[in-house]
Amino acid sequence: MVDVATQSLDDHAAIARALREKKRRSEKRAGLIKHAFLIACTFIMIYPLLWMLSSSLKPSDEIFGSLSLWPSEVMWETYPEGWEGLPVSFTRFFGNSLFVTVLSVIGNVISCSFAAYAFARLEFKGRNIAFALMMMTLMIPYHVVLIPQYLIFLKAGWVDTYLPLIVPKFLATDAFFVFLMIQFFRQLPRELDEAAMIDGCSAFKIYWAIIMPLSLPAVATAAIFSFIWVWEDFLGPLVYLNDINDYTVPLALRMFLSQDSISEYGQMFAMSILSIVPIIIFFIIFQKFIIRGIAMSGLK
Amino acid sequence: MTQFNRRRFLKTAAMTAGAGVAASSFSLPTFAQDARIRHFWWGNPDRDERTFAVIDIFNSKHPNIFVEGETLGFSDYFTRLTTQIAGGNMADVIQQGYGVLFEYVDRGAVVPLDEWVGNTIDLSKMDQSALDAGTVNGQLYALSIGANSHMAMYNTRLYEEAGFRPGEDFDPYGWTYEDVARIGAAVTDATGTFGTDDNTADYQNFSDFVVQKGGKLYNDDGSYGPTQEIVEEYWETWKMIRDAGATPPGPESAGQVGAEVSQWGIVTGRTATTYAWSNQLVGAQNLMQDTLGAAMFPNTPAMVPGSYIQPSQFICLTRDSANPEAATTYMNAFVNDLDMTKVLGLERGIPSNSEVREALRPTLEGAAATSVEFFDTIQDKVAVLPPPFPTGANEVEQTFERMAVAVLLDQGSISDVARDFLRQAEAILARA
Amino acid sequence: MRDYLQKYGAGYVFLTPWAIGFLGLALGPILASLYLSFTQYDIINAPEWVGLENYEYMFSFDTRFYKSLQVTFAFVFLSVPAKLIFALGVAMVLDKGIRAIGIYRALFYLPSILGGSIAVAILWRQLFNQDGVVNAALGLFGIEGPYWLSDPRYSLYTLVVLAVWQFGSPMLIFLAGLRAIPQDLYEAAEIDAASKPRQFFAITLPLLAPVIFFNLVLQMIEAFKTFTGAFVISGGTGAPLDSLLFFTVYLYNEAFSFFRMGYASALAWVLLIIIAIFTAIAFYSSRYWVHYENERG
Repeated sequence: MVDVATQSLDDHAAIARALREKKRRSEKRAGLIKHAFLIACTFIMIYPLLWMLSSSLKPSDEIFGSLSLWPSEVMWETYPEGWEGLPVSFTRFFGNSLFVTVLSVIGNVISCSFAAYAFARLEFKGRNIAFALMMMTLMIPYHVVLIPQYLIFLKAGWVDTYLPLIVPKFLATDAFFVFLMIQFFRQLPRELDEAAMIDGCSAFKIYWAIIMPLSLPAVATAAIFSFIWVWEDFLGPLVYLNDINDYTVPLALRMFLSQDSISEYGQMFAMSILSIVPIIIFFIIFQKFIIRGIAMSGLK
Repeated sequence: MTQFNRRRFLKTAAMTAGAGVAASSFSLPTFAQDARIRHFWWGNPDRDERTFAVIDIFNSKHPNIFVEGETLGFSDYFTRLTTQIAGGNMADVIQQGYGVLFEYVDRGAVVPLDEWVGNTIDLSKMDQSALDAGTVNGQLYALSIGANSHMAMYNTRLYEEAGFRPGEDFDPYGWTYEDVARIGAAVTDATGTFGTDDNTADYQNFSDFVVQKGGKLYNDDGSYGPTQEIVEEYWETWKMIRDAGATPPGPESAGQVGAEVSQWGIVTGRTATTYAWSNQLVGAQNLMQDTLGAAMFPNTPAMVPGSYIQPSQFICLTRDSANPEAATTYMNAFVNDLDMTKVLGLERGIPSNSEVREALRPTLEGAAATSVEFFDTIQDKVAVLPPPFPTGANEVEQTFERMAVAVLLDQGSISDVARDFLRQAEAILARA
Repeated sequence: MRDYLQKYGAGYVFLTPWAIGFLGLALGPILASLYLSFTQYDIINAPEWVGLENYEYMFSFDTRFYKSLQVTFAFVFLSVPAKLIFALGVAMVLDKGIRAIGIYRALFYLPSILGGSIAVAILWRQLFNQDGVVNAALGLFGIEGPYWLSDPRYSLYTLVVLAVWQFGSPMLIFLAGLRAIPQDLYEAAEIDAASKPRQFFAITLPLLAPVIFFNLVLQMIEAFKTFTGAFVISGGTGAPLDSLLFFTVYLYNEAFSFFRMGYASALAWVLLIIIAIFTAIAFYSSRYWVHYENERG
């Protein structure tokens, strides 16, 4: 398909230029419509954020009584008060979360791409069985393995440390990322590895110098997802961390609410807003790597 | 990231790599000389602050015991607790609610305190009713750290607008279901806000009703008490109130089953009366501009008491405690030491220690004062606390709430749903 | 032996971290849950072997088990196609060059970020209550909206809407997949005067197939296992009238509310087998519609 395309491109270079010009004009019009559509969608997408923002600024006796997005009185103090609103400061919680999340992202990207490379590009006996077993780990409902897993980490003496949250990430336990990268690795032309192999490149060199750079969009996607999911995870921190000094942000957020006494909703919403700031920053930086692939064009 | 965490992480990593499996943070040398006690509770910002402060007081008074606090939000508390039960590493002292305590006792997760009574634990100032509530099969398993009762909360502004003043136009401590229908309909007409929540699916109201009718929720042999007639009559009673125009339409009420405080109709301005636990008054008031009044749950004209005064929360000693002597010393201080109870205040409910209660009284205002006044008034208007409910009681309660929704949605006749519910309740109790 | 190592050695080396993780952390708990499914285990006391009793009870007596299957299947079949189509559509719009693209991507991802938070439960009530935002919007068109959340006929749809609204992750993966399609193919097609729909079916779909396949399988698995949204919105119980009794919500209640971990494990294995069957079908069918670059070369 690539060859055919390349050929016709040569034959019709002049027509192509004319077509591009025409396309540019019609694209301008389409661009406006697109923006209008996107802005409408965007409003639906950000409504919850606006609602949370407005709730974080309302007096607590107004959050649930009124549907209006405009607070009768803007309470900026929920932010500083919420930041210090629990027995331990949110400076600490954010630090803990960043520590766990950054290490987890590194672990996930390295270990899952390793496994994906093996599954997608290398041959070994038992590959299909290993792959099926890996998929099985995705299918079992988490709540029934929670306790057996807890017992393993308890035996290891790791409860009350960050190890149960971080070490598994270096062992490619999240099959989602392995499978994701497999799908992208398999899209890369075989000729690349074969050529490199003939040049005497080791498997590791091929992984590092060819597969990973060419799969940058997939790797960036995996990094983004693993940042968000680890950052938001509360079940892991919930069972493995007992000391409030070690808590991560999502666990801390849930401590503002009470069943049988006063809940600090305003502070909870304020800290919820702040808690997504690191996600947005990470997202905006890493989405830049979801770029046009150079893989196949590079073959020309 | 703080230095502390990085160090701690690396230390643990090194420890595990080197020393193998045995090294846990439990055996860190720092407190090896002292008894290390873990206290685990569900909290909120205010409670957490008070409890950590109390722990500091205790630790400074008892140099050879080191108490560590662990806290979580209520919604997460039992998930962690369950995991720790399986791991055999529960905290020494845990917080428990009245409803679930008995399952934990039944299955052996918490242990009796009797051998420590008169030794490390002093019960002389505790209300007898609170002690009874923590007693199962003649053994004391739990110390009450706050009393609780059913409470109807009403919006005083809306009631006044409709012409109802407590004590003059209705008796908050002796109103009937007919009163609720009449007042509710009048409030709906006068204010446009529905006069009352619909309790068709409220198991707490149902349990009151059973006792008001002279029945029992559970028979002595553990079988289910309510009869077909009682279940039907309860749902008919609330249908009467609904038909009077006092409540929101059935489907709206169906959406309120199990709603948390912030979503209650009285908080969001949909209704003028709700039915809950007395220790929720302060929290609900905090989310509202109008002032809340306190009343008992409605009764039948015969006025047989149906509500109980029961502990809202207990502290218990777990079977995983390695040093019950130190743990019970701490538990004792938690309920008796006036320096500590002063800091704890009413935050967990009305204290069960009379001395502590009197010391607190002058400091109260607003909804907290309303709660205490309510408690003083209902003392002689409540029923005797029944023996602990059997295992499976929680599931029966959830089943009731689920099936009552069919009544609210008009999916099936009251007698059919009632029959179905009783059959399922029986099956649950047989399976448990 | 030497040849063997030369041929397969690299594969095993790269697989080592995963193998350690699988054998050390995943396999044990999975087998443990299989064992527990044949026991009565209240978490507090040691498990007690009961043979097939859990499974017998489930299939012969447990009406809520069947109800939860029905709810879960309905959810999977409604939400997965809708979410994938929506995600692909938005990804294609975002794939073309428009200004401030990064901002749009982030904004479109927002619902997925907020998805797991407790705030969503409250938000969903505010949106779908009888006097909520959705009915207010319907009211503008003179439509009287139903009781979305408390009427069992509609409550599941609100969960489907929630799932579709959180289309961020398949969207991002589609986007990465679209970016891997060489642009010269489209340019060539333009020259051949192929219409846009034709380009879509002749170029985009076939080249995107591996990614579509990935999203399909993963979204299906996730949909079968859906928990958080249903749990928080139904108050943890599957209300009203079990219309939100998702399989995992039921399972969680059995395990953690009613202390029947053995039974919950049996439920988990039934779900695992159901998911495995559907995944196997997807993999089998993929032979006919998913082609990988490295298999052609």
